Amino acid sequence: MIERAEVLLSVQSASKIYKMGEIDVPALRDASIDIRDGEFLIIVGPSGSGKSTLLNLIGGMDRPSDGSLSFLGEDLAHYSDRKLTLYRKEQIGFVFQFYNLIPTLTALENVQVAIEIAQDPMDPMEAIRLVGLEDRADHFPAQLSGGEQQRVSIARAIASNPRLLLCDEPTGALDIETSKQVLGLLKRLNRELKKTVVLITHNSAIAGIGDRIAYIRDGRFASIDENTEPTPVEEVEW
Amino acid sequence: MVSRTLLRKTRRDLMSRKGSLLALLAIVTIGVGSYLGMSAVHRDLDGARHRYYTEYRLADFQVDLKRAPEFEIERVKNLPNVSEVRGRVSMAVLLDLPDLAEPISGTAISMPETRTPVLNDLHLSSGSWFTGRERREVILNDSFAKANGIQPGDRIKALLFDKQHDLLVVGTAISPEFVYLIPPSGGLAPDPARFGVLYLPEEFLQESCDQEGAFNQLIGTTHDRSDKAIDSTLDDIESRLDLYGVANTARINETASVKFLADDLEGLRVSARVIPALFLGVAALIMNVLIGRMITQQRSTIGTLKAIGYGNLAITIHYLGYGVFIGALGGILGIAFGTWIHSAMLGLYRTFYTVPDIRPHVFPDLWFLGMAITLVFAMFGTVRGIRYAARLEPAEAMHPPPPERGNRILLERIPIFWNPISFRWKMILRAVFRNPFRSAVTILACVISTGLILMTLSNVDALDYVMDYQFAKISHEDLTVGLRDPVGMEASQELKLLGGVSEVERQLSVSCDLRNGPYEKRMGILGLVSNNRLITPLDSENNPIPIPEKGLVLSERVAEILHVKVGDTLNVRALIGSREEVTAPVVALVKTYLSLAAYARIDYLNRLIGEDSSANVLLVKLHPGKRSGTLYKELKQRPSVIAIGERARAFSQIDATFGKNMGVMIAITVFFSGIIAFGSILNTALVSLSEREREVGTLRVLGYTPYQVLQIFSGESFLLNSIGIVFGFGAGVGLVHLIATQYSTELFRFPAVIHFFRVIETGSIMVLIIGFAQILVFLLIKKLRWLEALQVKE
Ligand SMILES: Nc1ncnc2c1ncn2[C@@H]1O[C@H](COP(=O)(O)OP(=O)(O)OP(=O)(O)O)[C@@H](O)[C@H]1O
Ligand SMILES: [Mg+2]
Repeated sequence: MIERAEVLLSVQSASKIYKMGEIDVPALRDASIDIRDGEFLIIVGPSGSGKSTLLNLIGGMDRPSDGSLSFLGEDLAHYSDRKLTLYRKEQIGFVFQFYNLIPTLTALENVQVAIEIAQDPMDPMEAIRLVGLEDRADHFPAQLSGGEQQRVSIARAIASNPRLLLCDEPTGALDIETSKQVLGLLKRLNRELKKTVVLITHNSAIAGIGDRIAYIRDGRFASIDENTEPTPVEEVEW
Repeated sequence: MVSRTLLRKTRRDLMSRKGSLLALLAIVTIGVGSYLGMSAVHRDLDGARHRYYTEYRLADFQVDLKRAPEFEIERVKNLPNVSEVRGRVSMAVLLDLPDLAEPISGTAISMPETRTPVLNDLHLSSGSWFTGRERREVILNDSFAKANGIQPGDRIKALLFDKQHDLLVVGTAISPEFVYLIPPSGGLAPDPARFGVLYLPEEFLQESCDQEGAFNQLIGTTHDRSDKAIDSTLDDIESRLDLYGVANTARINETASVKFLADDLEGLRVSARVIPALFLGVAALIMNVLIGRMITQQRSTIGTLKAIGYGNLAITIHYLGYGVFIGALGGILGIAFGTWIHSAMLGLYRTFYTVPDIRPHVFPDLWFLGMAITLVFAMFGTVRGIRYAARLEPAEAMHPPPPERGNRILLERIPIFWNPISFRWKMILRAVFRNPFRSAVTILACVISTGLILMTLSNVDALDYVMDYQFAKISHEDLTVGLRDPVGMEASQELKLLGGVSEVERQLSVSCDLRNGPYEKRMGILGLVSNNRLITPLDSENNPIPIPEKGLVLSERVAEILHVKVGDTLNVRALIGSREEVTAPVVALVKTYLSLAAYARIDYLNRLIGEDSSANVLLVKLHPGKRSGTLYKELKQRPSVIAIGERARAFSQIDATFGKNMGVMIAITVFFSGIIAFGSILNTALVSLSEREREVGTLRVLGYTPYQVLQIFSGESFLLNSIGIVFGFGAGVGLVHLIATQYSTELFRFPAVIHFFRVIETGSIMVLIIGFAQILVFLLIKKLRWLEALQVKE
């Protein structure tokens, strides 16, 4: 793994300051990182360190206060709302801690939501099959367990064939066994479908499964480590 | 029991829902405002009318006769139930104004030489009473004088009976018997410029009309003023005065002017109840949606409050507080708005009716009543929410709500329908069916709104229809010439020779009593020539109906009043001539919309009154393009002519009187009705948006543009409102028919007219309203902080 992979998205000295009335809350200060195409990047940091803020910038859901973000050379920091929306639609798949499934749609229909507007989508049933839920396709979120719901949300994230899969504490609300299933699934998608995965966690036990591990503290990267030998998901202990 | 901290919560809760609150308040305000406004207008107008009638002593009845000696007045006064009577002379006159080619019709009425209080007294508007300096002095009705620029001191020429007189105008006045002065030549609207009332000194009028020491009209008051008592008094008077040729007897409340105002007031009274009830009812339902949603959102708060010891009563009071707040605020706004409606509407009525002293008064009791009604409605608006809050167990309430049910809706059981539709429509349909109450309220509000708009717009068509029917389909003459006494054939032949005349059709109009057992109606029967061309009564299919040689053709309304149908026989007694009662079959029914009508063949009617071939109305058709100037000049010189009516003029007068006012009223009603729909749509959208912020966020993350998100939300709105619009069309049609039956009077029958074009127009207005609401929803979706919504735990 010595040869340098292509950089998919580059964050340069990005900062984000939230204005809360009179007070400025710096959520991100001068953070820089290159995300390589096809890697499984894990970002670890304590609560409030700026992980979600960074992921939202990468995912085109927000713009930095300063610094730049470029996706394959395109400057995201100055994209209009329209272009950011398009970017999210075409390049990004998002997985949240709280699934965010639409409660009035079945599993399959939740996946169709993403497909409906996508350029080059998968077959929705194929996405469902990839996450192993083919026999629950007709169930509503309320009829599914947390882990199953998270798998539906992953199916929805990959259904539009994005290059970049952003996961914000995807196992935050799950127990160990279910978490392992979900992580294993993400690993598989990374390996087999060549999706670039950025996964946030404040659980350092998970960190070992990534190709690289970035430690974030107080809105900056403290260190970014190459992990030449990722731990197989089954062997993770916490 | 009312906690101040909770009050603060109430205020913040409401402030955080400003949009919904405004939408709701708009509907409440219109509801209360229209109630207060219309009720106050009703009181003021009714009060002004009552004061006017009392102060100027409007008579209770009126008897027209040929000529009766004055000593009979005393005898009538002694009849039971008669309290006061006055004999007077009332005569048709023709006026010749210098600036006008056509002669102007008018009525001359005798008044005492010196001012003494009499029945049907005058209220002087300018000038003075008769001065006695000249014998030929006249007081003109004020609107006629104003319309023709005549002032006290001017002189006018009047053809009285058979002589032209030069009259000195000494004053102008209004009278309680003519608050809405419709020319006798028919129509629905006053024509102040072309119809005048001349009040003349008694003796002078008596002498000029061959009525020395006599009277031809008796007006009087009764002790018992019920319709029944007056009717029986009139019967007594009629038999008492029979030999003087009683031509007509009537209660004052049957006469055009008095009845028109009374009918109008009655309509106002009904509207003042129905319209506000609709608005406040919808507001209460919308409020249930809004407060219901708020309370479900506050589940855990309610649980916490209960856990720390607040009882159901305290919680009920807390949430009733929302109702009280909205009700009170709406009530206050409604009072302000109602005050405005009150003065605006009164202003309109002031131009419409000649009643002095129509002034807005403050009615504090109405305010209290309005406020109370609003509070009650607003509290009804919280019942659903409160029921839910009261039932919550504290332990259960502090848990997050059970996940939204994943049950399938009924439609999903029909795979042929369900499978092919897109997830959007699945989302929309499930949202619709899982919130049945909310969906029903949305549909209902739209039904009411659509129905009201369609009805309002159709009112225009009803008036147009009547006008077209009466002035184009039935009548075709240019002029109607009324004669003092029936004349023979020569008159029409003579008229035909005058300049510009192409056709003359003779008519005989005879006042008759029509009787069918206990049902009686006194009205004019119109005798038509056999080949009638200038007036063509139509049957219900709008085909001209030939007038049979024998028997009568009645308008449907007359048949209704007399309870007869085709084939029945009526007893008919003409009030002139031999006055014998004969029987006549009802041969056919026709439709009329303005006034009552009964037709017969002119010969038949002649036989009935013992004449041969006389006529007292001549219909004139002019050669196309011919001006009527020379004809007018000729007519002015004929003493036998007592009235001239112009079809085009009557038409344009009605159009001007009602068209103008209707335009404004319609715009306002449509606007207010639209507010119902708009408020309801906006509220539903805001409520579902607040429930579904997370869904919006999810869609936005997936790359949906705000517009694409809107499409999903709008789908629900358009679906529910489309259903509402379709049913609303039905409701509108129903309302139009209801109005047609409820608001029809003897003077004016309201046809139920629905043009397809109006349906389209109404639909378009509704779509515009829905569309406009969607624009606001779009802005809200765009502004929504969806990113934050996604990161909170459900
Ligand atoms: N919308 C916002 N407005 C104001 N401050 C914010 C906002 N979002 C985040 N912050 C602040 O920015 C800082 C970083 O927040 P962020 O959500 O990125 O942390 P995080 O690393 O994801 O934490 P966690 O592990 O708890 O999710 C925090 O101090 C947070 O309070
Ligand atoms: Mg976070």
